[in-house]
Amino acid sequence: MMEKRKQPPGDLAIWIFICAELSVFAAFFAAYAFTRAKHLELFNRYQQTLNTDYALINTLALITSSYFVVRAVAAIREGSQRSCARWLLAAIAMGALFLVVKSMEYQHHFSHGVTLSTNTFYMFYISLTFFHFMHVIMGMVILAAVALKAHAGGYTAERHAGVETGASYWHMVDLVWIILFPLVYVMR
Amino acid sequence: MPLTPRTEQGKAFIRPCTIIYLLLMSLTLLTWALGRFNAQIGLPAMTLSMSVLGIAILKGHLIGDFFMGLRRVRGPWRWVVTLWLLLPASLITIAFMQAGQ
Repeated sequence: MMEKRKQPPGDLAIWIFICAELSVFAAFFAAYAFTRAKHLELFNRYQQTLNTDYALINTLALITSSYFVVRAVAAIREGSQRSCARWLLAAIAMGALFLVVKSMEYQHHFSHGVTLSTNTFYMFYISLTFFHFMHVIMGMVILAAVALKAHAGGYTAERHAGVETGASYWHMVDLVWIILFPLVYVMR
Repeated sequence: MPLTPRTEQGKAFIRPCTIIYLLLMSLTLLTWALGRFNAQIGLPAMTLSMSVLGIAILKGHLIGDFFMGLRRVRGPWRWVVTLWLLLPASLITIAFMQAGQ
């Protein structure tokens, strides 16, 4: 029988922060969907200018990075600090891949003169994805700090709340993209 | 009966998180394929949208349960991700139904 804990993994404060972040993204998603309902033709037309192949690569990259973070948490629970640091570095590399692919996507649109004020669809597309982009950067900074501490032997099999805290934040970044990908790129 | 095959030492050689990871990757490819090849598949727009939204909710639930570790949590925190998934998904569904009318 699996023993259940009362609180989620990591520091409780990060979960309060995660709830606040998820609420903001939920409001953003609802605003996108209801605005789309009013400008259906415009949203459907300009959604076709988005590259779903880039979005697929980015989704696979984020899910893979989340998996690497799960392995990092498992490694530290088994007392392997070096292995934990290596899995976290692999997760950061996947985060970097996400940023590169997203930057290529932005570069394509910006080179065609697309800005926030081009139309309502692009306003949502750029602001929503860029807001998430900034969260990816913040998540990578957190994972890098945790990886450095793990490499220096700062966590043990018994005391590793910092690893779980960083992991929870990173999974939240992945979770948001899981909804953002179909909503902005696929649903029509 | 164990969830995954085991070695002689009793250790699982495929971790449950690896199975979930492969499932998440497969569901992502399915979402992409539905969007990319819908002209050939011929699903109505509403069916396509609700299908990929349903897949996204399932993926989010798997991430919450297995990656964030919430299946090992009891009490209100156990459901925080699932509830969050259902909130925007409900609003998105209402908005898409409005747009479809």
